[in-house]
Amino acid sequence: MSWADAIFWLLAATALLAGWRVFRTDSMVRASFFLLASFIAVGAIMLMLGAAYLGFATIFMMAVEMMVMALFMVMFMMNPAGLNPMSMVHQHGLAIVAGLVTFAGLGAFALSVDLPSRPLPAGAEVTAPLGRELLGPSMLVFESAGVTLLATMICAVVLSSRSGRFGPSDAGSVPPSIDPTAQEKS
Amino acid sequence: MSPLGALGVTLGVLVAGVVLVGLLDALARLVLGPVPLETPDRLTLEGLRGAVRRQSLTTEHPDLAAWRLAPAAYLGLAAAGLALVPVAADRAAVDVEAGIVVWGAVESLTVIAVFLHGWSSNSLLPLLGAYRFVAIGLSVMLVSMFVLIGAALPAESLRLTAIVESQRGLWNAVRQPLGLPLFLLLGLAITLRGPMDYADSADLAGGTSAEDSGAPRLAWQFARAAMLVAFATMAATVFLGGPLGPLLPGPVWLLLKAGFVAALLVALGRLLARPDASRMLTFIWVVLLPLSFLDLAIAGLETLR
Amino acid sequence: MTVQAILIVAAALIGLGVYGTLSQQSIVMLMMGLELIINGVLLATVGFWSLTAAGLPEGQLLAIVAMAVMAVEMAIGFALVVAVFRRREVDMTDRLGTMSH
Repeated sequence: MSWADAIFWLLAATALLAGWRVFRTDSMVRASFFLLASFIAVGAIMLMLGAAYLGFATIFMMAVEMMVMALFMVMFMMNPAGLNPMSMVHQHGLAIVAGLVTFAGLGAFALSVDLPSRPLPAGAEVTAPLGRELLGPSMLVFESAGVTLLATMICAVVLSSRSGRFGPSDAGSVPPSIDPTAQEKS
Repeated sequence: MSPLGALGVTLGVLVAGVVLVGLLDALARLVLGPVPLETPDRLTLEGLRGAVRRQSLTTEHPDLAAWRLAPAAYLGLAAAGLALVPVAADRAAVDVEAGIVVWGAVESLTVIAVFLHGWSSNSLLPLLGAYRFVAIGLSVMLVSMFVLIGAALPAESLRLTAIVESQRGLWNAVRQPLGLPLFLLLGLAITLRGPMDYADSADLAGGTSAEDSGAPRLAWQFARAAMLVAFATMAATVFLGGPLGPLLPGPVWLLLKAGFVAALLVALGRLLARPDASRMLTFIWVVLLPLSFLDLAIAGLETLR
Repeated sequence: MTVQAILIVAAALIGLGVYGTLSQQSIVMLMMGLELIINGVLLATVGFWSLTAAGLPEGQLLAIVAMAVMAVEMAIGFALVVAVFRRREVDMTDRLGTMSH
């Protein structure tokens, strides 16, 4: 086994183990950062495969996303610091079976199909062709992704803003005046 | 140069740079007076002695693995950032095709390192420092990425050696005037200094470092200074032309420019006031982000001509 | 590092993600499972691109689309969690019964 293969298997094991630990750990911040570790391992494998821009962009994006995820986990989980043991699962048996069936099905596909072997030419530039592809033949896909992200931003702000369908929830209310003896005006 | 040699040189430059940063801080204290309410054990000889003599205390139920990991991660990221920088016009310790994106990854992982440092001590003031810093750090990181893309446009490449090469005629700081000031603000943020020091500030009694003591405290301060070294060389490379310049050899020019940026950051850290966190957040999103778009537009128009 | 090995690892990540999505009660943990699934898809895409498609640029484009899907899913997911929590003070999938018949 060459060095590259050894490093690949080490990174793959890290990705899978970290992904497993996401659902087993008690501390929620650790869960988010275990997921980040899984993503970093996958990003490193992508770097080994020659995708220079994609590997680092994955690590970059996932760092930011997992940071935000950690904040939301602390907001919404009842046991964020992991000081008590907890397990919040439902339909555990079904989930395990579904996971194993998915893995077996996809793995069977990987092993049984006769995939062609056309490796990336050594020393090829990958970033410049990607840029030309994004802004040339695949401009429509790129722009659609951009508009989708804009729609997502607007949608997220609308969903999570405090004012509901009937206006801001505190419309019409006034803060208490500084002078405690002032008469209330109706 | 062999990989081990490159690693050795990088770490050597890092340690020398940290010593220089300590001297700059001492000079700032001499010229501008001591920092009000500053906790002791900053990066001085006294701090070193303190770190060796004092024990490192822990809090109740800390996340000890993350607490000890945070300064190591911070230092590792600083070393990674420094390794990207070209020391001669066509050579860098680590020359990747997408160098700017690697620096972006260094920035975002730094925010995570600071958050972990604040979260893991299971204490109130460090937690507040960590949360404030995440909000400000992620926002100012967006600003810096647009500014860096603007610097990459004339080079038509994300590779740092190409960006250095594209500045042979004119430095990026001159033809993209908004770039360097905005990038310096990011530098203040990731080195936790001055107006962007929402993580380790005196109004939180040391913030994420409030529960640090002994050797881990020194490690954190060392890592902060190391990140300043890495940032200064990166700013000198992307905006001031890096190793380019007449007469003197490349590495000397890079050191001079990086030293200038580091002195500038230390001065800005002492001279600018830190607004309230929510005001700074509004300022970043409403003023700085549009300015970074403007910088990108200027860079684009420049390149199209 | 053959394409089969990479696809096995990607399949394992997807299987792990499916387990996480189906088994977690909390909405944010469910989203972690979805992230793992897309992680596996991303790895498979880059594996195909590098080893069976000789670096065709559209392969990288598909990976970028997968990353955009991740970003969109997280943003909408968190916005929904916040909106649902504000209306009903629940953050677990079991208490959101109004859509089931």
